Amino acid sequence: MQWDNTVSNEEKPNEKARAIRARQRAIGRELRRMYDDVAQEPVPDDFLDLLRKIDDAEDARTGKKVS
Amino acid sequence: MTASAHHQHAEIGHNDSGDGDFKTELLALIPFLRAFARSLTGNQEGADDLAQETLVKAWQSRATFIPGTNLKAWLFTILRNQFYSDRRRAWRQAPWDQDAAERIPGGGEDQVFSAQLSDTARALRCLSDEQREALILVGAGGFSYEDAAAICKCAVGTVKSRVARARKALMEILDGDDTLDGVSRPAEGDAAREIMAQLDRLTPPESGETGGKRRPK
Repeated sequence: MQWDNTVSNEEKPNEKARAIRARQRAIGRELRRMYDDVAQEPVPDDFLDLLRKIDDAEDARTGKKVS
Repeated sequence: MTASAHHQHAEIGHNDSGDGDFKTELLALIPFLRAFARSLTGNQEGADDLAQETLVKAWQSRATFIPGTNLKAWLFTILRNQFYSDRRRAWRQAPWDQDAAERIPGGGEDQVFSAQLSDTARALRCLSDEQREALILVGAGGFSYEDAAAICKCAVGTVKSRVARARKALMEILDGDDTLDGVSRPAEGDAAREIMAQLDRLTPPESGETGGKRRPK
């Protein structure tokens, strides 16, 4: 009798813990989805223009050094 | 990693120098910088400004990067520093504006997230900066606790407890909202449509989906 009580008392917190873990996993998936959605967007042209400017500035700088 | 970023490799940073390699790697990591920036600022425009500032800073500091170490973590550290220093500057210039901005739900910086990304995104804005960044780095960005600790300049144990507290807080915020259970699942289609609409606005019609078609003017 006492053993049964112990088991049923422990099962409830376990179920609750399992439910919480499942919920946490779902939230985790949603977080990753949010992040991945942005990471999968095409890189805006602004960024590519910026890297080209860095290239141009670098060319100008090294050009000056040479001449 | 996106297909378009791969295409773009061919256009930029193809010279033979070490700087060229560095730039190629920078280019490949831009999507992740944008994602981390978006999670910190909560709005797209501010996030892209932040990510661009990060690229410039990274380029200027490239001599301090140790090859073979984690470039992504190094860039995220720069981005995070830039975010907080920009915000400190904003506070000094107009302390009341920041206060007001934080009190407006669904307005200003929350707009993009709440329109496209539902309850979780909005709940994320309710966390402290420390909890939010730890959770994003570990839970979404896939960083180890050790790398996240290096990026956030705190102890590994501190990151662990911040992530745990963030997860708990997020769940409490989300499940305290009784509309969530009914809304979150069916809303996914709407969120996807909103994302597509947003991509359409972002992408000039002539460039289409293949980034490789983009050419400098």
